[in-house]
Amino acid sequence: MTLNKKIKRTILENKSPYIGSLVLIIISCTLYILLNMLSVNLSESVNSFERDYIQEDASFSTNVSLDNISELENKFNAKIEQGASFDYNISDSKTLRVFRVNEKVNLPAIIEGRAVQQGEVLLDPAFANANGYKIGDSLNIKNKPYKIAGFFSLPNYIYIIKSQSDLLSDANSFGIAMISKSDFDSYKSAKTFYSIKFNSDNQNVKTQSEAFRGELTKQGVAVTQWTDTANNNRVTLVTAKMEGIGKVSTLLPVVILLLTCVLTGIVILRMIKQDSVIIGTLYAQGYRKKEIINHYMRYPLVIAILGGVTGTIFGIITIRPMTAFMLQYFNIPLSNSVISPIQIIISLLLPVLFLMLSSLYILIKELRRSPVSLMRGDAKTGKVNFIERRVRLDKFKFKTKFKLREQFRSLSRLIFLLFGVILATMFLLLGFTAKSSMDYLMGENITNTLLFKYEYIYNTLHIDYPLEGTEAFSGSEFIMKKDSGDVAFTISGIQPDTQMIILKDKKGNVLNTNESIITQPLAEKLGIKEGGSFEAVNQVTSKTYKITVDKIANSYIGEYIFMPIDKFNSMVGYPEGSYIGLWSKQKLDIDEKYLYSVSSVDDTINNFKASMQPLQSALGVMGLLSFIIGLVVIHVVISLIIEENKPTISLMKVFGYRKKEINSLILNSPWIIIVLGYIIGIPLIMSLMDLAFKSAMQSIDIAFPIVIDYVYIIAGFVVIYATYELSKAMSKRKLNRIEMSEAIKAGKE
Amino acid sequence: MFLEIQNLKKSYFNGNIETKVLKDLNMSLDKGEIGVILGPSGSGKSTLMNIIGGIDRADGGSVKIDGADITKFNDSHLTNYRRDELGFIFQFYNLVPNLTVGENIEVVANISKSPISIDEVLKAVGILDKKHRFPRELSGGEQQRVSIARAIVKNPKLLLCDEVTGALDYTTSKEILKLIQQINAKYQTTILIITHNTAISAIANRVYWLREGQIVQEKINSEILPAERIEW
Repeated sequence: MTLNKKIKRTILENKSPYIGSLVLIIISCTLYILLNMLSVNLSESVNSFERDYIQEDASFSTNVSLDNISELENKFNAKIEQGASFDYNISDSKTLRVFRVNEKVNLPAIIEGRAVQQGEVLLDPAFANANGYKIGDSLNIKNKPYKIAGFFSLPNYIYIIKSQSDLLSDANSFGIAMISKSDFDSYKSAKTFYSIKFNSDNQNVKTQSEAFRGELTKQGVAVTQWTDTANNNRVTLVTAKMEGIGKVSTLLPVVILLLTCVLTGIVILRMIKQDSVIIGTLYAQGYRKKEIINHYMRYPLVIAILGGVTGTIFGIITIRPMTAFMLQYFNIPLSNSVISPIQIIISLLLPVLFLMLSSLYILIKELRRSPVSLMRGDAKTGKVNFIERRVRLDKFKFKTKFKLREQFRSLSRLIFLLFGVILATMFLLLGFTAKSSMDYLMGENITNTLLFKYEYIYNTLHIDYPLEGTEAFSGSEFIMKKDSGDVAFTISGIQPDTQMIILKDKKGNVLNTNESIITQPLAEKLGIKEGGSFEAVNQVTSKTYKITVDKIANSYIGEYIFMPIDKFNSMVGYPEGSYIGLWSKQKLDIDEKYLYSVSSVDDTINNFKASMQPLQSALGVMGLLSFIIGLVVIHVVISLIIEENKPTISLMKVFGYRKKEINSLILNSPWIIIVLGYIIGIPLIMSLMDLAFKSAMQSIDIAFPIVIDYVYIIAGFVVIYATYELSKAMSKRKLNRIEMSEAIKAGKE
Repeated sequence: MFLEIQNLKKSYFNGNIETKVLKDLNMSLDKGEIGVILGPSGSGKSTLMNIIGGIDRADGGSVKIDGADITKFNDSHLTNYRRDELGFIFQFYNLVPNLTVGENIEVVANISKSPISIDEVLKAVGILDKKHRFPRELSGGEQQRVSIARAIVKNPKLLLCDEVTGALDYTTSKEILKLIQQINAKYQTTILIITHNTAISAIANRVYWLREGQIVQEKINSEILPAERIEW
């Protein structure tokens, strides 16, 4: 159809809104393909890794060594292997956890290089990369040189964090290594533990675990620690992150596509209004409605196809580097990248479907008008909408009235601008809120709650007098059985007059540690209120206890219930006066072989600060995305305002208005909507993140208070407003190009 | 009669207020004739033109074109009528701004059953050399020639001209009227011109004076003047 030759020319004549739509579709399709494929590829890699390299079902420690492993393996149809590790500090800020080679469970996957032999070491690739180690290099461990034979992954250390309570991995300061059995055994001080993998897939792991623990108890072996893989943050944090990617992989592109639909709808509506005389003429010449719709539908079709294809290609291109980027944090061997044809088809069809439907709706609605009405260009006269009619502007100065009317005149344009600014704000503040919340969690919340510097947890219960300057505590892991999934937590027995922990309620009042106190995130997760009780199952003994909660502490240090140590010992049947660990303000000299774990509050905070570095780059990406969306939306709206006001602008020039005055009237009119969009965006993103974190809490044992620092609110506003100023600067030339003859032409037509 | 209008009625409503635009209007035109309808602003000229052109509907009466009453046509029939039998020329040309002259004509040629060659119509209206220009690169007279070429490319039985000289200067207007006469002679097209310029009535076979929705005077010209001889 000859008429279609006009498509390219129309688009080229007024590029801004079309380029805007195109950019938004490209972003949307790129994100769709990238996030979906990333989620699929990572899931596939994790699943095959866990299966092929025999990921443990649980790890545990006992008070005595198990000498009947074969017998237990046969009885429970399981693989059991004693593992061993020690932490070696390469420097003050770098720790390497060295493991002995496993043979049955948690097998090392060689990512690069070869299997370890005597005198050799395997390193996790992120640590090696962050610290500049290459295959063939030498690395000293406890004064003994090892040759780096390759890089490896462990299925129980997919997300490499030093302590279970760490949030983010930091390859600069912590990594894992593996050496041969003979090399490992030459070191005396090492921590041992067991890994168990049940061979039967048909039976519930929990039931088998309970039966297994029961058998150990029957044999007189005390289980001092038990961690199901389902509660191992080194595995579950990966699942949580993948679930997070999976959740946003559809939602995010669809939200951007909706924004594009509004934009394309505005463009089509405006085009039909501008072309109404031509459309009427075409009707008069015998064109059918179908033919006219067919022509105008090609505009969104062209944009949707072009944007869809480009975005999908970008998405496909970025999958591999993005997967590699993610693997800096998830230590798994990458299986072959899968590119799903169905996802590609969806990515190509989604913008076509969205844009065609929204444009078709507008076209059918607008083309209901008679050819005569179209030829008269009735719609061009611009009806006064209800907002313009309702809002009393008489009291305002001319300039203010003019700017407000300009915004109220087109509701679709106003909604598009508001929606776009809200979306850009949310993108921008997403990163800022995450950072603020983590800063709050790690800064104020932890340092104000935990007064000790070091936490030492023994392998077995101790009953002797605690070391001087320390405070003894007891504790064990529990679960609450829920239909939606078991909730794991720690019950800690603390000194009633503890000097190491301060727990406060929401009002800031210090709580009496003679009572049972639950932390806020755990209370939320369990749905427990002050004075409420529930049944808790000990993870080690599988015994059930009734717990009554007296107070809730407004603390986000983890999921804990604190109660007086004597009450705790008596409840679980530990000897009176016994304890499992020590809190100290000074570093203690305790042989590692007696310890299950050592953690330093300062290290945790410092590691956290270091591990926030990758988040900075994520913040940068978020900021850039927000900037692009903001720029596209604001620039398109300003272009539309200029386009629609050509005759008015021209008339102002005829009347003698100066460029500066016209710029102020036209370009400054959207500022109030931009400010409003930003203000609305703040509570929206905070509620959304609260929901997202609560959802994430189901799978990981860490909770976040959602806070945003006012500095970030100001910084976010500066970014959004700077985007607006840039858009204004870009539009000034367009405005200055409008000739005075426009006014005369407009009057004639 | 090729065009026969009987008791044509049309009203517009603005809220509850009814404005009768055409009141039992009667008129006719033979095949191959040029008719002129004269009338001041608001007399109902454009409404009459729109109803004859099948882009507006009458409230009563009949409009027969070559024996078929178009007031009885449904939307699809009316479209076919406009597509196959009618050519429209407008006061402000209504050209598609981002299509070239040739393409503007092609837009209509594409949907015609047996269109005349584009070069032939461009030659007939005297702007073959402007075929690849865009409308904004042409003068008003040239744009109106494009509009005429677009209307005649489908070789319509009836050509409706709505104030075709309204936006043009004296000399250009006469050239356009001359062109309309030439088309009438060459293609035997029946032409109905709507204007408020009484001088144009001299080129017509029949002249109707329209006032307040009614034909108040009708005249059959015994002598038809060539366009170059009329003065105003």
